[in-house]
Amino acid sequence: MHVVIVGNGVAGTEAATLLRSRDRDCRITVVSEESDHFFSRTALMYVVSGQMSYRDIEPLERDVCARLGFERVRARVTGLDPERKLLTLASGEPLAYDRLLIACGSEPRRPPWPSYASLRGVGHLVTMQDLEWLEEEVHGRTAVDAPPRPRVHETDLPSPYKRRKAAAASSGKRSTRPVIVGGGLIGIESVEVMLAAGLRPTFVVREEWFWPIALDAAEGTWIAEELRHHGVDVKLGANVRDLVGKDGLVSGVDTDQGPIEADLVVVAIGVVPNTGWLGDAVRRDAAGGILVDEHLRTSAPDVWAAGDCASVRWFDGRVRPEQLWYTSRDQGRVAGRQLAGETDAAYVRGTWYNSAKLMDIEYTTAGLVNMKVPGEQSWYYEEKGTVRSTTRIVHTEGRVVGFNFLGRRWDHSVCTRWIQERRSLPWVLDHLDEAAFDTEFVPPLRIPADLRRQA
Amino acid sequence: MKLQAQQGLMTTYRSPWRNRGPVGIAISVALITFYCVLYFGGTTLTIPYGPSISWPDPLTPIAQALGLRHKWFVYGLLYSFGMIAGGTWYLRQHGNSRYHQLRIATNIAVQVVLAFCLPYALAFVGQPEYYFSYFWPLSYSNLFPETLQGLPPYLAAYSLVGAFVIAPAASVLFGKRWYCSWVCGCGALANTFGDPWRHLTFKDSRSWRFEKVAIHTILVTCLVMTIAVTVGQLLHFKAEWPYQLGGFLKGWYGFVVGAVLSGVVGTGLYPVLGPRVWCRNFCPMAALLGLTQKIGRFRIRVKPDMCISCGNCTTYCEMGIDVRSYAQSNTSFTRSSCVGCGMCAHVCPRGVLRLENAAPVASDKRRQGIDAVDF
Ligand SMILES: Cc1cc2nc3c(=O)[nH]c(=O)nc-3n(C[C@H](O)[C@H](O)[C@H](O)COP(=O)(O)OP(=O)(O)OC[C@H]3O[C@@H](n4cnc5c(N)ncnc54)[C@H](O)[C@@H]3O)c2cc1C
Ligand code: SF4
Repeated sequence: MHVVIVGNGVAGTEAATLLRSRDRDCRITVVSEESDHFFSRTALMYVVSGQMSYRDIEPLERDVCARLGFERVRARVTGLDPERKLLTLASGEPLAYDRLLIACGSEPRRPPWPSYASLRGVGHLVTMQDLEWLEEEVHGRTAVDAPPRPRVHETDLPSPYKRRKAAAASSGKRSTRPVIVGGGLIGIESVEVMLAAGLRPTFVVREEWFWPIALDAAEGTWIAEELRHHGVDVKLGANVRDLVGKDGLVSGVDTDQGPIEADLVVVAIGVVPNTGWLGDAVRRDAAGGILVDEHLRTSAPDVWAAGDCASVRWFDGRVRPEQLWYTSRDQGRVAGRQLAGETDAAYVRGTWYNSAKLMDIEYTTAGLVNMKVPGEQSWYYEEKGTVRSTTRIVHTEGRVVGFNFLGRRWDHSVCTRWIQERRSLPWVLDHLDEAAFDTEFVPPLRIPADLRRQA
Repeated sequence: MKLQAQQGLMTTYRSPWRNRGPVGIAISVALITFYCVLYFGGTTLTIPYGPSISWPDPLTPIAQALGLRHKWFVYGLLYSFGMIAGGTWYLRQHGNSRYHQLRIATNIAVQVVLAFCLPYALAFVGQPEYYFSYFWPLSYSNLFPETLQGLPPYLAAYSLVGAFVIAPAASVLFGKRWYCSWVCGCGALANTFGDPWRHLTFKDSRSWRFEKVAIHTILVTCLVMTIAVTVGQLLHFKAEWPYQLGGFLKGWYGFVVGAVLSGVVGTGLYPVLGPRVWCRNFCPMAALLGLTQKIGRFRIRVKPDMCISCGNCTTYCEMGIDVRSYAQSNTSFTRSSCVGCGMCAHVCPRGVLRLENAAPVASDKRRQGIDAVDF
């Protein structure tokens, strides 16, 4: 049996290793346009800033493919013919499969601005090639152990894995006035990269406060305060209308709050499924996500999809892609078992949780927060002592449904268990220290007695 | 003050002296030269089948000029200054962590008080020069009969109780970090003066295999040497072979392990191999405490299904442990080499890791995903 996996991200790699652990003999081919080795997309910012090297962000030793007998193909796949069970590579070569896993991830969402495509100095932070481009813009060179440039068959097709030409290469100058557009996680990571390079970026956020899908006004305001404290020019509620250019290089951003000078623009307005190359070969939703059932099967026989490119059913019943590292990993594991013939393997998403670091502020969430649950109320406590932190617990009808924490570390698995056990707010407040995950010697969170009584 | 963050690390590889470049190598050469002068100064070192090198000894005159009894006090002084300077750097980088604040303060206090002032002052009250923060087998001569006989009974008792009761018992309770990261001078120098190079430690499985063989070989050698010397000295076999064997082993052990591996290689190569080369690969004390740590309560707890495999923890592990491989497979763990410096938990951007002393729970043992595939 010949199993082909398109994509060597976390979903593709987990699937391949899991399949190999079940089946020592089948032929496994992993196709990737982006990179020779599996790397952590979540760590791209650390390479640009200098906190890690290219090698450091690869989770596995480089001989893993040889050891596990994976054939690697470094090429762009341009088409799928599910009837003849054939993939087409950009070189025109066909690649036949018996079973296929599509784990082709996301690509950056492109902005609607008229001059976006024509200017140098404009890009994203999503792929390995974006990383190389951004390093050149910010530092004037790529890092010490940059991998050899990709040996990919060049096509005229648009691809997120094409290296952009840097404005720094034309002007001979590194960026001094970076602008980041988009107030989400990749946006704030890009801001941190600029700060590490000694630059003072402008951060253009469309919403009224930072990251309203995850934070409420007070929480988002704290993050904006922290950014400003580090010298970031945070522009809230600002919409970008277009970019301004000079001699083919970007020179500014035109917003409804006025123009901003810029010699580098990082567009971080989200990601979309990287599935344009599939055409009608498998059924996709309006946003491009490949529709799969709970076994991650697509509409085509012997074709599965996993990771960022697959639209799965969420805890709220809606179907859309889950663009997260650990959900991609879990889906990869389910797909691996499916490829090995375990037809009952299913992907079931439990209670929502996530964590991040916003500048130096720890963030943990679990359950339904900012979801407008009927009758919901928030219990909120802001701690301002040796540790600054906020704790928000969402509850309705006598039970707790969500947690939002900033400034301290918490064990989300304890919180999700409490949500499933339908614990009451007073009970949770009495047991909160069981979910604490601060490092040793950090003074524990003390909730004032009157706030506890209010609950 | 904000605790628990990772600021200060962002530009590591972009500092030219921190990435195995020419500047780092030059620093390394300077350090190696210093250690050769320190250990071999005033002697002529004959390399078998090679040249003989006479090393100058500038440190002894400096000691005399400063009114210090011998050159090792000059070294102790430099050591203390190096640690204070490195500790200041460390706290500027990672000082937003309570664990690091307390740990580095303890390190510096132990060095200045127990490893410099007290040994210096003991002579004024008619006591021998004694280092309370070093135990056998790191101070390998501590348990030789002639050493013990030369000490007042309370100090001889401290040497024995320290080596056989305090050190192992404390590592069962708290992990070997109580010594390697809080007390030991070698570890403290690595964590202060050597900290700028901690990301350079090799992380691959080859280096792990080397470590396991090397460190346990030295532990066994140290045991054999100690027993041989003890038997030889106790039985007064003066001219007999046990005494000669003991003396022979002691001489070679002192040269290879005591001087070359702990000083010249261990510290001299900080900017090339990372700061814990000695602790990780050669220190017999670390090997012994590592074994007790394995049966004790210390572990690194992993929050389930939260790791994003970014690799910060592995990159900044000075002992070369691939922390990420445990974190991404949801496995709380205790590795015998872990010195509990706390950096993995500190740098993790998702708060996945926590150092703790606690009884193991059954769920810790499940290992899944990529790393569970064992071929
Ligand atoms: C900057 C950044 C930060 C992030 N931080 C977090 C975080 O903190 N937490 C979190 O949970 N998630 C985070 N994510 C999201 C997370 O990285 C993704 O969810 C995850 O990497 C998706 O993995 P995947 O395997 O589905 O796809 P990918 O990692 O995108 O892999 C897809 C692979 O498919 C290959 N491919 C695609 N198309 C083709 C083609 N046509 N031909 C050949 N090969 C092709 C490419 O080579 C690529 O390597 C972050 C993402 C970014 C960009
Ligand atoms: S444990 Fe933390 S630092 Fe280590 S790889 Fe996982 S997320 Fe990164």
